[in-house]
This record gives sequence, C-alpha cells and structure tokens, in this order.
Amino acid sequence: MGVRVIFVLICLLCTFISATVSVARVYIDIESPELQPLPIAVAQFKDVEGSQPNLGHEILKISTNDLTISGFFEIIPRSEFPRETNALADPPDYGSWLGSRAEALVTGGYSSSGTEFTIEFRLFDLVDKAFVGGKRYTGSTKNFRDIIHRVANEITYLITREKGIFDTKIAFVSNTSGNKEIYIVDFDGHNLRQITNNGSINLSPAWSPDGRIIAFTTYIKRNPDLYLFDLARSVQVRLSTHPGLNAAPAWSPDGNEMALMMRREGNSEIFIINRDGTHPKRLTKSWSSEASPTWSPDGRKIAFVSDRAGSPQIYTMDRGGRNIKRLTFSGSYNASPSWSPKGDRIAYCGRMDGRFQIFTISPDGMWTRRLTENSRNNESPTWSPDGRFIAFSSTREGRSHIYVMNANGANQRRLTATRGEESSPTWSPRMDR
Amino acid sequence: MVKRFCIVAGVILSLMVMVSCAKKAVKEEPLVTGKAEEGVLGKPGEEAERAKIEEKSLEASLEKKEYPGIEGVFLESSLLNDIHFAFDRYDLTPKAREILSQNADLLLQHSRVKIQIEGHCDDRGTIEYNLALGERRANTTKEYLISLGVSPDRVSTISYGEEMPVDPRQNEEAWAKNRRSHFIILSR
Repeated sequence: MGVRVIFVLICLLCTFISATVSVARVYIDIESPELQPLPIAVAQFKDVEGSQPNLGHEILKISTNDLTISGFFEIIPRSEFPRETNALADPPDYGSWLGSRAEALVTGGYSSSGTEFTIEFRLFDLVDKAFVGGKRYTGSTKNFRDIIHRVANEITYLITREKGIFDTKIAFVSNTSGNKEIYIVDFDGHNLRQITNNGSINLSPAWSPDGRIIAFTTYIKRNPDLYLFDLARSVQVRLSTHPGLNAAPAWSPDGNEMALMMRREGNSEIFIINRDGTHPKRLTKSWSSEASPTWSPDGRKIAFVSDRAGSPQIYTMDRGGRNIKRLTFSGSYNASPSWSPKGDRIAYCGRMDGRFQIFTISPDGMWTRRLTENSRNNESPTWSPDGRFIAFSSTREGRSHIYVMNANGANQRRLTATRGEESSPTWSPRMDR
Repeated sequence: MVKRFCIVAGVILSLMVMVSCAKKAVKEEPLVTGKAEEGVLGKPGEEAERAKIEEKSLEASLEKKEYPGIEGVFLESSLLNDIHFAFDRYDLTPKAREILSQNADLLLQHSRVKIQIEGHCDDRGTIEYNLALGERRANTTKEYLISLGVSPDRVSTISYGEEMPVDPRQNEEAWAKNRRSHFIILSR
C-alpha cells in the first residue's frame, strides 16, 4: 500500500519534471555549428543598501566578461539601453526595449555587509516578454568573484541548458620564484594562488574530479614522488614513492584511482594505483617508454604516449591494458594527449617543422584537426569541463605562458603572465554543482 | 726515497717475473697463496701505495654539492665524466662508451663508492616524455657500467627530464650539453 503511494508520487513527479523540462526553452543550441550569439543587455546591478556603490561596476565587469568569453552572448553596450534602466523593476518595462537589438535582459541587486555578500539576478526574455529565471546567492565576501561567476554560470544555463564553467580554475607550473612551483588561477586570469612552496622541482598538477585535491610530482626527497595537496586545508601528503618515476598523474573519472608513469625494468610504463597510493597495477609491458596517461570520460580507456614504434606517438588502450591501438601516424613527435570531457576528441601536441602545435584527433584516429598556427611552441593542451575551451602553454610571446582558446582554435588569448616560464596547465572540474 | 723504493720494487718484480717464467717452463705452480706471494715478493707494498695514490686522486677530485630544494648533500668527482646523447635518443655513442669504461675503471678501483646516474634531456619535447627519456638514458648508462663489472647495487638512477639544464640557452650547442647522463657520488 505504502509502496504503491510512493510509486504513484514518483510517477507524478516524473511527469511534472519532464513537463517543466520540455517547457524550458533552449535559446542557444550549443551543438549547432552556426551558433549565433544571443544579444543580451546586462543592467548595472543595484546596490540595495547603498553601502558599496562601487561593487556594481565590478559585478558588471566580471559577469559580462564571463558571458563574452563563453561565445554564447553578445553584450549590448549601455549606450544602446533605452534609458536609465531600473535594475530592480520586475517585470521590466518591456515597451521601452522595443526596437533594441537586445533579446534578453539581466537585472539584479546586491548587498554587502562586511563579511557577507548577497546578490540576486533575474533574466527576462525581451522578445516573448517573459521571465526566464532568477536566483539569489549569499556567501563570504572574500568569495565575491566566485559568487559573480556562479551568476554567470546560471545565466548561461538558462539560455543554453548547460551550466557555464566560469567558476573553474586552472592549475599550472611556473618558475617565477626561481624553481618550478604549482599555482592555480581563476578561469578569467584572476586570483593567482601559489600552491606549493618547497623550493624543489614540482611538476604535472592534476585535479581530483571533485576539485578538492591536486596531485603532483615533486623531487623534494631526491626521487620524483607523487604528492597530494588538499586545497581547503592547505596540507600535502606523500602518496607514491616508488624508486624511479611516480609522474604525470591522471585521476580516473570516478576519483578512485590514478593512472601514472612508473619505472619497471629501467623504463617508464603506465600504471594504475588506488587513490591512497596502494596496489600499483601495471598496464603496459614494453621495452619502450610510455608517458602521459589520460582517461576517457567514461573511465574505460586510457590514451598515452609510447615510443614503441621508434618515435613518441599517441596510443589508446582499455583500462586493463589490452587492445593497444596507435592513433597518430603523421609527424615524428606526438605527445601530451588530453581526452575531451565529452569523449569525442583527444587533444595533443605534435611537432611540425621543428615546432610544437596543438591538434585534436577523434578517438578512432580518423580525423585530425590543427588548432594553432604560429612559429613557436604550443604544448600541454587541457580541456575545460564543458569541452568548449582548451588551455595550453605557448612561447609565442617569448617566454612560455598559459593561453586559452575555443575548442575549434578561435579566440586564442593569454591567461596568465607570471614573471617566469609557465607550463603544464590543467583545467579544474566544475566547482559549482 | 720513494723513487729508490720503486726502483728496488721494480727490480724485485722483474726478477720475480723471470723466476716465475722459468718455473712455468718446468711446471705449473698452483700452490702460491696470495699471502705467501705478498710476503715473499713485497708486492702488497706497491699495490697499497698505488691504491693510496689513487685514493688521494679520487679524494682530490671530489666536491661537495647539493641541489636547491632536494634533500641531501652528495659528492661530485671530476674523474666521473658526463656522457652525451643525440636528440630523442638513449643509445650510447662510441665516445660515451669510452667515457663509461673510464668511469667503470674508477668505480672498480673504489669498490665502496655508490653512485647515482642522472638522466637529463634538452628542453625540446614535452616535459613528461622527457621524464621517460631521462629514465631510459640513466638506465642504459647503468646497464653499460654493469656490463663492465660494476655491481648493480652500487648504482641507482634518477630521471630529471628537462628540469636541470647545464646550459639554459636555446641553441644546438646548449641542447647537446644538456642531453646527458651525469654521475654523483652518494657515499664512499
């Protein structure tokens, strides 16, 4: 009896949910090759209590920058607004927007009380004269930028039905202090934070799938050992310290294991260890060098580098080490594979005319695409969690810095410029979920 | 004094060789123990002297070093020379083999010395593949020393990939210097 009631309730709930979903309009089909950016007006957020009038401008800057970078939006400049827009009017004066190019409008307000920051926004469809959605966020003032990024994530979700990635971060290596240390930076280049500070050689940062831990290799104890750094607690622990390499860690999508490079019989092989560092399992057995494992998003396959055919090339295998298949055949040096979050592409760097360029290839090896074209080195591609962007390192401006581009190679721009050489970017998972 | 001793020792030695040759012509003499030979022929003095001189030259060749951010102090010897590799290769050139046999001689003379072979790369290519390549270079180097009689438990290896260039410049000359196996002494 009880069970039946629950079952009926679940059925009703399902019907309700599917009804809501089918009603929700997808303003932009992000899979469409002819994606047209949505013209959107973002009104200056209103300082509800009047205590922090300057923040309004900052909020506008952060959120419109996010929306612009996404490629989904065209931000309508304020000069094209009908007149001084009341950011708190609900509904807005639709009539005044007649004849404007804007098809959507964001309004909202905020208040800040020293340690606590609150912001709310509303998204309106100016064409259908309808409320699309809105949310209020409250958090610590020191997470101000993260909270604004969450707003931009949500606006993106309401328009595309896929959340933005504006609160993600990128970990990388920089030798700005004189040696290689691990740093992280926000997706928009702000909030640079130094993670390691041990004066040693620190390499290959890798985010855990929950975004809380960064695995990396360090030479502190005269061996390339694998360590974990807990971001919230700022604590590091040793994880894998087998003599020889414990390098290039890659977390399995479920976070329970890590693939990495380890030494066997004098050369580097691909291993899997548990997330507590135990039970090393050898996947490759060869006389050649294996390097740089990366998991397919379903956790069933691993792409890696091997020089078994005489030069470094990209291969795939299943997670047990069987069905090894060579993917790249053109060029004499292809390395640094990174499997896309949707599973459809593998980014890598390959040498052409003595310089490294970024490419992507389909996992069946059939279809290659070149993404960078300059006369310098471009290396270490890493995907944003929505698969729409690739970060990489490049020496195009002399020193090596971290750059971001759209997944099709468009909009290449520099993300960071510490004083040293930057390398090995790795994009975090979504933090907001 | 030393000179005179050497001359005397030399004379004794040549006499001994003549005697043993003469003896050999008659019949083999397997009964000579090391001890008896030493006692009778005074050879140990010379060996010990030579060992002492070699010990001195090894000692004189040593320099205490440490790498910033890496635990431990170690020694470097100017008598243990680096070997170099071609781009993206880990096989030994004839020149590298020549240097390695000199290094092996030194290690065979000083059986208590424990070394670490560091595999290094130039900075072209990816950081991670270069870690694998450095591992390979260090291992090939170790295998060759073992083939020359050096005991494997005296030799450890480490790959530094492209992380420790001796010459940071970006040209052929610098790259050639950076592609190397380097030898450090962990204990003696």
